[in-house]
Amino acid sequence: MFKYILVNELRALLYTWKSMVWFLITSVIFSFASYLFLTDKELSLLDQSEMLWLLSKVIIGTALMIITVDASSTITGEFEKETAESLFLTPLSLKDFVLGKLLASLSLWIAIFLIAVPYIIVVSAGSHVTAAFIMFVLMLGTMLILGFQMMIFGISFLFRSSKNTLTTSLVILLALVLPATFSSTLKNNPLSHFLSVTNPIDNVFSSLDNVLVDYQTTLTGNLKYVFPVLIFCFAAFAFMLYSTKLFKRSGVVKND
Amino acid sequence: MHRKSFLTLLVISLTVCFASANSLPADSGSVCSPPLSMSILSKLALDGIAGDYVTVSAEIKNISAKTITNITTYLSLADEETKLPVDLEDWSAEKGLFIGTIDAGQKFPLEWKIHFVKAGKYSLIIIAEIQGETNVLTSRVTHFAVSPKHNLNPGQVLPVALGMPLFLLVIMMFAAYTRRSRLMKSQ
Repeated sequence: MFKYILVNELRALLYTWKSMVWFLITSVIFSFASYLFLTDKELSLLDQSEMLWLLSKVIIGTALMIITVDASSTITGEFEKETAESLFLTPLSLKDFVLGKLLASLSLWIAIFLIAVPYIIVVSAGSHVTAAFIMFVLMLGTMLILGFQMMIFGISFLFRSSKNTLTTSLVILLALVLPATFSSTLKNNPLSHFLSVTNPIDNVFSSLDNVLVDYQTTLTGNLKYVFPVLIFCFAAFAFMLYSTKLFKRSGVVKND
Repeated sequence: MHRKSFLTLLVISLTVCFASANSLPADSGSVCSPPLSMSILSKLALDGIAGDYVTVSAEIKNISAKTITNITTYLSLADEETKLPVDLEDWSAEKGLFIGTIDAGQKFPLEWKIHFVKAGKYSLIIIAEIQGETNVLTSRVTHFAVSPKHNLNPGQVLPVALGMPLFLLVIMMFAAYTRRSRLMKSQ
């Protein structure tokens, strides 16, 4: 049954040129970044591994922003357009509804990743980390984005308002992205070190740094970074389960 | 002794005492170098390409007649261009090596694997500190010349940087055309 939701969402995404403009803008961002990395007088002096690391930040950062906005409106949109009530009158279960929406939203990340692959290949040309880099961006990006989606879906079921969900999600995203951009010297403080170790975005960037700079291309070599991202995914999943239970209990028409 | 010559001697001795008192450091505590010697066994200058690994090896020796305990040795890396110290985070997995005990006359080998992270000119020194001692022992400088990797091909970027947005634009136009023709058919 989730296929129905998934196909409908994908159709809405690919049906009009307006809904596809963001694909074009994303590719322009990647083009701009990679062109600057390779041709700018100062940026091209960067070491290739550092260049790739910056590119990975651009790719994952753009994807997180797009996914946050999309996931914030995909469920709340059903409540605001008042289509949720009729949707749940059909044999469609809440599990299928969430799964369909989750996969449809995840397909945006897959699209962004596919757009990014040619840029990764061009920027990493001549290095021996291309395959490992592509694999790690896909794996870590998918885990991080899945975690974010589940967290945002949880917020959506609690708030049922696009505006509040989007604002809260963007603030959470900002709160996690900002410490991840701090230099390593700022992370020497015990509190900032703790935040850095638990921050999933920070761990994703640290793992990519580990792959590109220290050539630790195995999963076991990156386990200490992958593990916190996995915990974040499980925590987000638990939060989504909790909020869907609350949603089930209070019903589609909320009596506040 | 004449009174005159006695006075001259007194003035001279007082001047000498005053001068020697002024020449003493403010801190009258003993300022002596640590009873250790350090020699760098690797080359004076090491060069490579960003991404390469080099090994810096040294040897520390107890030149005193007694056992020395609790010696901490660590690296200090400075960028010769910016004249600023460099964070060793990615350069070396081991920032410092701790030596528990060195017996009199005993030598202890030190070895660091250094990863050239970024192109530039750097200088590295090894510092040895004995717990409780005021002074530290520093090694001679090892110079690093790290050249950038030249495996980038900027010529490849233009076809992708221009081609990808154009490709997506074509897909968008195709989607718009298909939708319009479907609508026309249905009307």
